Amino acid sequence: MALVEISNVHKSFGEVEVLRGIDLTVEKGEIVTIIGRSGSGKSTLLRCINGLEQINGGEIKVAGELVHSRSTDLRKLREHVGIVFQQFNLFPHMTVARNITLAPVLTGKIAKGDAARELARKVLAQVGLEEKIDAYPGQLSGGQQQRVAIARCLAMSPYLMLFDEVTSALDPELVGEVLKVMEDLATQGMTMILVTHEMNFARNVASKLVFMHAGMVHEEGRPADLFANPATPELANFISSVR
Amino acid sequence: MRGFTISDFLTMLAAVQWTATLVVLALAFGAPLALLLARMCTGRSRIARLVATGILQLVQGVPVLGLLMFFYFGMPVFLGIKVPALVSVGAAFTIFTAAFLGEIWRGGIQAVHVAQGEAAACLGLTRWQTFRHVIAPQAFRIALPATVGFLVQLIKNTSLASVVGFVELARAGQLASAATFQPLLSYACVAAIYFALCFPLTLWSRSLEDKLNGAR
Ligand SMILES: Nc1ncnc2c1ncn2[C@@H]1O[C@H](COP(=O)(O)OP(=O)(O)O)[C@@H](O)[C@H]1O
Ligand SMILES: [Mg+2]
Repeated sequence: MALVEISNVHKSFGEVEVLRGIDLTVEKGEIVTIIGRSGSGKSTLLRCINGLEQINGGEIKVAGELVHSRSTDLRKLREHVGIVFQQFNLFPHMTVARNITLAPVLTGKIAKGDAARELARKVLAQVGLEEKIDAYPGQLSGGQQQRVAIARCLAMSPYLMLFDEVTSALDPELVGEVLKVMEDLATQGMTMILVTHEMNFARNVASKLVFMHAGMVHEEGRPADLFANPATPELANFISSVR
Repeated sequence: MRGFTISDFLTMLAAVQWTATLVVLALAFGAPLALLLARMCTGRSRIARLVATGILQLVQGVPVLGLLMFFYFGMPVFLGIKVPALVSVGAAFTIFTAAFLGEIWRGGIQAVHVAQGEAAACLGLTRWQTFRHVIAPQAFRIALPATVGFLVQLIKNTSLASVVGFVELARAGQLASAATFQPLLSYACVAAIYFALCFPLTLWSRSLEDKLNGAR
């Protein structure tokens, strides 16, 4: 059974149909990169996968569970599906440690105090920021904030992580440190779905490339194949425009 | 007729305790209601939003004096029992506080970016946990200057309770004025005491505002 099964998903905002029949499966351990022009529905698709958005048709299964079914406990599901946003969205009034341990403590994954701090230390080590454990988000650079946001997700020990253009808001010189963390995660076998404009990452790290166009999966396949032989003019245009 | 003495002033000072009682009552009962209204206004339920917004608009559209009269004369009629002035006056200021603080806190909650709530929800927090740990602390910080500012309004507005004969600071001033025929001096004392109560709060509110603006 695939970890994520998306079939014929439709999603409209008012009159505008943003997703027009999306089909996509993601196996455990796969790194799926979604590319496509701005407005093609990439963010919306990610937000549908963890139930932030309702859908108007089709279905999405994560670990066999229907995300948009009434009987699904979305909270339980989200404990296992991490999402990292373009704008970091750290909690500005909490230290890095508290940002990281808030959810694990409140959802009863771990006890307050030493155990929580130990967890914060462990996930911060994964993103190379142990020394920032007592800093506030406002004291960190964008790249560091984004790494903390990733650590915050990791603290919930997710089996699936979603990344929505997580390097797009960063100064160019800070992009590398965040991509490095994501590469490490990929190497460790984390299942990831990520939207990115970093074509090198898409080419070298992803196991599957998905090109979205006009609310549909226009092409999908192995990155090397798609980059070398785009089957449609839309993808060919897109690739040449981001080069 | 007698002259204005220090004991007249001391009587006024003593009456401050009733002003304070009204303020404390209004906050003790009004603040939780305000929180409830602010939550309803920003919540998911359409009906709750409509109801809460309606209440806020209605109460804010009525002068405090009107509220006071309504509760003072209305409570005995609607409840069919005589209630002490403290209760009816207290109820009026409770409603006043609920509406104005409710509006201030609604603004504070809405000023916290929706992405903060989404991020918390994405981590598996319940709606209450999200509000309690993520939204409320940030909203409170944003709304604190206006909240302290409202406190000043509340203190000054309790003087209206004198209209229905409730003896607080302003009413004590009236009584002293009538007994001594020294209205100017009496009311100058009243004004000075209100000022002494409110001015530090105003300063505090301002410094909070500066801090908030500086922090952004
Ligand atoms: N909450 C919303 N309400 C209305 N329209 C929206 C909303 N979110 C996204 N859209 C619209 O949906 C389309 C796809 O948006 P999005 O998924 O963000 O695209 P992408 O991430 O590929 O740039 C855009 O036209 C956008 O304006
Ligand atoms: Mg997007």
